[in-house]
Amino acid sequence: MEWVETTGKTLDEAKGKALDQLGVAEDEAEFDVLDEPKAGLFGRVRGEARVRARVRPTQVRTKPERRERRPKKEAAAPTTGAAGAASTTPAADATPRRPAERARRSEPRPSTPRADRPAGPAVDAAQVGEEARRFVGGLVEAFGLEATTDLSGAGSELEIRVSGANVGLLVGPRGTTLQAIQDLARVASQRRLGDHDTRLRVDIGGYRQRRQEALGAFATKMAEDVKASGTARVLEPMGSADRKAIHDALAGMDGISTRSEGEDPYRRVVIAPSG
Amino acid sequence: MSEAPDHDDVNTVPAPTASAVLMHVVRSIVDDPDAVRIETSTGRGKVRLEVTVGPGDLGRVIGRRGRTAQSIRTVVRAAAVRDQAEVDVDFVDA
Repeated sequence: MEWVETTGKTLDEAKGKALDQLGVAEDEAEFDVLDEPKAGLFGRVRGEARVRARVRPTQVRTKPERRERRPKKEAAAPTTGAAGAASTTPAADATPRRPAERARRSEPRPSTPRADRPAGPAVDAAQVGEEARRFVGGLVEAFGLEATTDLSGAGSELEIRVSGANVGLLVGPRGTTLQAIQDLARVASQRRLGDHDTRLRVDIGGYRQRRQEALGAFATKMAEDVKASGTARVLEPMGSADRKAIHDALAGMDGISTRSEGEDPYRRVVIAPSG
Repeated sequence: MSEAPDHDDVNTVPAPTASAVLMHVVRSIVDDPDAVRIETSTGRGKVRLEVTVGPGDLGRVIGRRGRTAQSIRTVVRAAAVRDQAEVDVDFVDA
């Protein structure tokens, strides 16, 4: 099997590139981390991450044990400047090998209920929605904004929509404030209601709607690409809402399938040819 | 000493919108809303909002890996834009 070697600003970026070159999903590849990324001052990247990867041979796959594969010393040693401390240990030797190990156990995660949620009887979704709507409504009022807060949704899929003047303040740069509001609405509606499996979404001024449409268009283009080339594509890591938008946008498309891999905040969508 | 900026003293509080938003959010999250207090102080061009919650409620306000606390800060900072103020939010145990 052939190895490909890639670099990137982060291990994930390097791995992503390797997967793109190999055209396989993360769980079908095996990785060696040759160099960890080295952060420079003020977040600048001083040394790129370097990995090598290959399509995992089938006999390796059946073996559950992980082999402790050490990269060759000379390959692993980063080119540390000769000036200064001569005793600098090569970073690749000293750093824990967790990123590489993590890459090898990337089965799709079973959706087990989170342990910190109190287990309780199922709570009426309408009640959750009302609690969340009251929270968001009160928030809008505390902001001193003139806006309406509507609750919609079917079954356990709830959406709270805020519309009015100057609601952009509630969206924030790249939707960060909106996301925070959604998180808090969830926490607030869980306070007295205990465990529930409702999906609660908050949209403000149509932001998510527009974002969803843009993601859908992007995903469709990627999917056409996958169909044409027969090669899977691994998208950038995204939040759960964005991943869902992509899964939903491609759900009806023939010839491809989508899944999510990795762990937050690096969880990302893979678009693969099906069949 | 300031509690929720109710309508009488809303103009005397340094960051009234941020305080009101903070109060609303924290009261909506904790088990004991009546125990929530916010102390406001100013210095170095910033407004410091110090939140005190009832016993046992701090964990709820902070959340897993500080996520809830971070979300609260994000929202309160957005609110502070309306006060033309910069705010810091701290959470302290009762």
